Amino acid sequence: MGEEIAIQFDHMSKYYPGVKALQDVSFSIRRGEVHALLGENGAGKSTLLNILHGVDSADGGNILIMGKKTQFLNTNDALRAGIAKVHQEIHLVDQLTVGQNIALGFEIKKGPAIDFKAMYRKTDAILTSLGCNFGSTDFITNLSVGEMQMIIIAKALYHDTHIISFDEPTASLSSAETDRLFQTIQMLKSKGITMLYVSHKLDEVFMLADRASILRDGKYIRTCDVAETTKAELIKNMVGRDVSSYAVRMQPSFAGEEVVLEVEKLCGKGFSDISFKLHKGEILGFSGLVGAKRTDVVHALFGADQAYSGSIKLFDKQMKIRSTKDGLKSGIGLLSENRKTQGFVPGFNNCDNMALAALPKFCKGTVVNEGKKKQNFEHYAQQVSLNIRNPEHLTKNLSGGNQQKVILAKWLTSDVKVLIFDEPTKGVDVGTKSEIYRLMEEFISTGRSIILVSSEMQEIIGMCDRAIVMKNGRITATLPKADLNEETILSYAMEGKKS
Amino acid sequence: MNGVKNVAKRYSRELTIFAVLILIILIFTMQEPRYIEVGNLLDILEQATINGFLAIGVTFAIITGGIDLSVGSVMALSIVACGQLAVMGLPPIAVLAIGLVLGIFLGALNGLLITKMKLQPFIATLGTNSVLRGMAYLVTGGWPVLNIPKGYRNLFQVQIFHNIRLYMVYLIIAAIILSLILKRTSTGVYIYAVGSNEEATRLSGINVDRFKICAYIFCGAMAAMAGMVTLAKLGTGEPTAGQGYELNAVAAAAIGGASLAGGKGSILGTMIGALTLSALKVGLVVIGMDTFYQYIATGLIIIIAAYFEIIQGKIAAVIFMRKR
Repeated sequence: MGEEIAIQFDHMSKYYPGVKALQDVSFSIRRGEVHALLGENGAGKSTLLNILHGVDSADGGNILIMGKKTQFLNTNDALRAGIAKVHQEIHLVDQLTVGQNIALGFEIKKGPAIDFKAMYRKTDAILTSLGCNFGSTDFITNLSVGEMQMIIIAKALYHDTHIISFDEPTASLSSAETDRLFQTIQMLKSKGITMLYVSHKLDEVFMLADRASILRDGKYIRTCDVAETTKAELIKNMVGRDVSSYAVRMQPSFAGEEVVLEVEKLCGKGFSDISFKLHKGEILGFSGLVGAKRTDVVHALFGADQAYSGSIKLFDKQMKIRSTKDGLKSGIGLLSENRKTQGFVPGFNNCDNMALAALPKFCKGTVVNEGKKKQNFEHYAQQVSLNIRNPEHLTKNLSGGNQQKVILAKWLTSDVKVLIFDEPTKGVDVGTKSEIYRLMEEFISTGRSIILVSSEMQEIIGMCDRAIVMKNGRITATLPKADLNEETILSYAMEGKKS
Repeated sequence: MNGVKNVAKRYSRELTIFAVLILIILIFTMQEPRYIEVGNLLDILEQATINGFLAIGVTFAIITGGIDLSVGSVMALSIVACGQLAVMGLPPIAVLAIGLVLGIFLGALNGLLITKMKLQPFIATLGTNSVLRGMAYLVTGGWPVLNIPKGYRNLFQVQIFHNIRLYMVYLIIAAIILSLILKRTSTGVYIYAVGSNEEATRLSGINVDRFKICAYIFCGAMAAMAGMVTLAKLGTGEPTAGQGYELNAVAAAAIGGASLAGGKGSILGTMIGALTLSALKVGLVVIGMDTFYQYIATGLIIIIAAYFEIIQGKIAAVIFMRKR
C-alpha cells in the first residue's frame, strides 16, 4: 500500500532555443502522496508540469500515468483523464458566475442548451465539500483572491480528478487564506488524490509534502522523504552549493541621521494619514497583510498613482509628484511587484531595458549613443552578476531572478536616491534572493536609501533598520530594529495593536 | 561572419519580405519579360509613393500598439485645403508648410483623443476619419478644386531623370528621417517601449502620453504629405480622394512586419511592404489579368506574411534542434 506509482517520469528531455530545459529526468510519484517539486527558477519545474498537462510536448522520454504511457494533446485532454492544474496566476471570467467558471468548457447540456440546474447542483456540491461560504450563482467580482483560488480547485474537482498539480498556489494569498488552502490540500489528500506541489517557500513544503524531488538546471538531482531532511539540505541540493541564511544583513547598518524623505499626512486611494521619515542609508520596511494598501502608498510616492493630499519632502524640498516622470526626476525609483507586466519591456533586449529609465544619459540631443549604452550594460551586468552577458538577449527569455536583476540594474543606471523595492524576491529562487539582498546592501552603502515592501516576514526582520506596519490603509506601528519580530509585526498587522 | 549573421538576424523580417518581393518580380518576369524593364520598375516605385507616405506614418501608430484609420481623410482634407491655398496664389513652399502643420495638428488631435480621453485608437480614429471626411467636403462644397497652379505642381512633379520625380525623392528622404528617429533617438526607443509594454514604460518614469501623441503627429504629417503629392500629381483636388487608403497603408505595414499588438515594425519593412503591394498590382496589369484578382492577391499576401511571422519561431526551433 502507498507504494503504487501514480506518475512515472521516464527519461524526459525538452529543448528550447538556447536552453536545455529538461535533460533525462526520471522519477516517480506515489499514489495519494503530496509530492513537492523544488528547484530554482529555470530548473525545469514549469516545463515538466507543462508537459504533464499537455501544454507542451517532450522532445524525449515518456510519462507513465498509473503505469500507462500517456501523452496529452492539450490541457482539456489532460482534464478528461483526471489531471488538473492549479496555476500561480488566477484566470477566471469576471462576467460569468462561480458555477459557470467551474464548469467552463464542460457544461452540462440538455440538448443544445446548458442545464443550469444540474450544473449548479454539481458545482454547489463541490463548493460545499471545499467548505466555501459562497454559491454557484455568485459573481466572481465580489470574491477575494483566496476564494478565487478555491474556485480553481473546485474547477479541478469538477472532473473526476485523481491528480492535481499546484504551481506556487500561495504566491498571492494572505496567511489566513494560505491556511485555508492547506486545510483543503489535507482534505484532498485524505480522499486519495495525488498532488504535485511547486513552491519556493520551503516552510510550506515541510508542512504539506510527503516527499520532495529536486531539479537543478534541467537535471534531476534527487528525491527525499521530507521527514528525513532539513531545509539547509534541500537548499543545498537546489542551489548546488551552501547558501548562508539569506535574509540577513552582512554589514553593519549605514543608517544616518539625515532625513532624505519626509512624508506627511499622505492620503490616496485606499490609504490615509501616512506619515513617516526615511533616513540616509536606511532600509525602511513596509509590512502588513495582503490588502493593507502598501503598494498603493509606494505607487503614490513614485507618482504611478496620484495622492489626494499630503506632502512629500525630499532633502527638505517640497515635491510635487504627479507622474512617474516627476518621481524619477525627484530621484525616486520603483521596482514594481509584477515583474512581467510592470517591470520590463518584453520586446527589448537586456541592454535597452537597463537603459530605459535613464535614456537621456546616453543621448546627445535626442540621438542615442549605442556605444555608451552598451558600456553601461557591461558595467551593470557585471555588478548584478547577470548570468547571460549578451546585451542582445531578450529580457523576457531570462529566468525570473535574472529578469529582476535587469530591472534592478535599470534603477541603478538611473541614479535614484531612494529606491522602492515592492516584493523584490517574489517568485525568485533562493540563490538569486541572497544576491538581491547583497545588492540592496551595496545600494545603501553609498548613502542612498531603500523602502522595502515585503510580505515575507524573514525579509522585513532580517533586512530592515526600521519597519512600518500597515493595516487597512493606515499605519499601525513604526517599529525599531529591536522590536522586529514575527509576533509584534503580526499583531500590528492583524489587530492594529500589540496583543 | 558573425556580423553578417547578426545583421541577418536583426533584419530577418525585412529580408524575408524582400525575398517575397523578388520572388513576385521573378514570377511576373517569367510571364512577361517587359516587367523587369527599368521603366516598369520605376512605375512600381511610382505607384507605391502615396501608399508609402501613408504607410510609414501609420507604422508609428501601429508600433505604439494603436492604429490610425483617419489617414485617408487627413489626406483628403490636406488636398482640398492646400488646393485652395495654392489656387489663391500662396507660394508653393508656404502651402507645403501649412499642409504639414495641418497634418501635425490633426495627428495631435488623434493623439489627444487616445491619451487624454483614453479612447481606443481604433474607435477614436474611426470617428475622426468620418468627421474629417465631412470637413473635406464642406471646405469645397463637395466640388473639386480645379486648376492647381504649375508652380505648386512643380515643387513635387519635376522630373529628375527618366520617370523619377521629385516626390519620390521626398518619400525616400521622409522614410530615412523617420527611420532614424525610430531607430536612433530616445523618442523612437520610447515609442517601441510604449507599444511593447506601456505599464512598464510608465513605471520607468516616462511620460507615455507624450510619445503616443508624438507617433500620431508623425502619422498625421505623413498623411498630409500624401495629400499634397496627390494634389500635385493630379492637378485637381478631390474631396473624395484617399477613401479606403488607410487599409492599404495598414496592409503595407503589416506585410513589413509591424504587429498590431504593438512594439514591432520598421520603416524599412513598411516600405518594402508598400513596394510589394505595388509590384503585385502592376504585375497583374502587365500580364493582363483582371483587376479583380488584385484584391484576392493582396489579401493572400497579407495573410501569408502574417502567418510567416507565426511559423518563423517554430522554424528557428527546428533548425536549433537539428544542430545539437
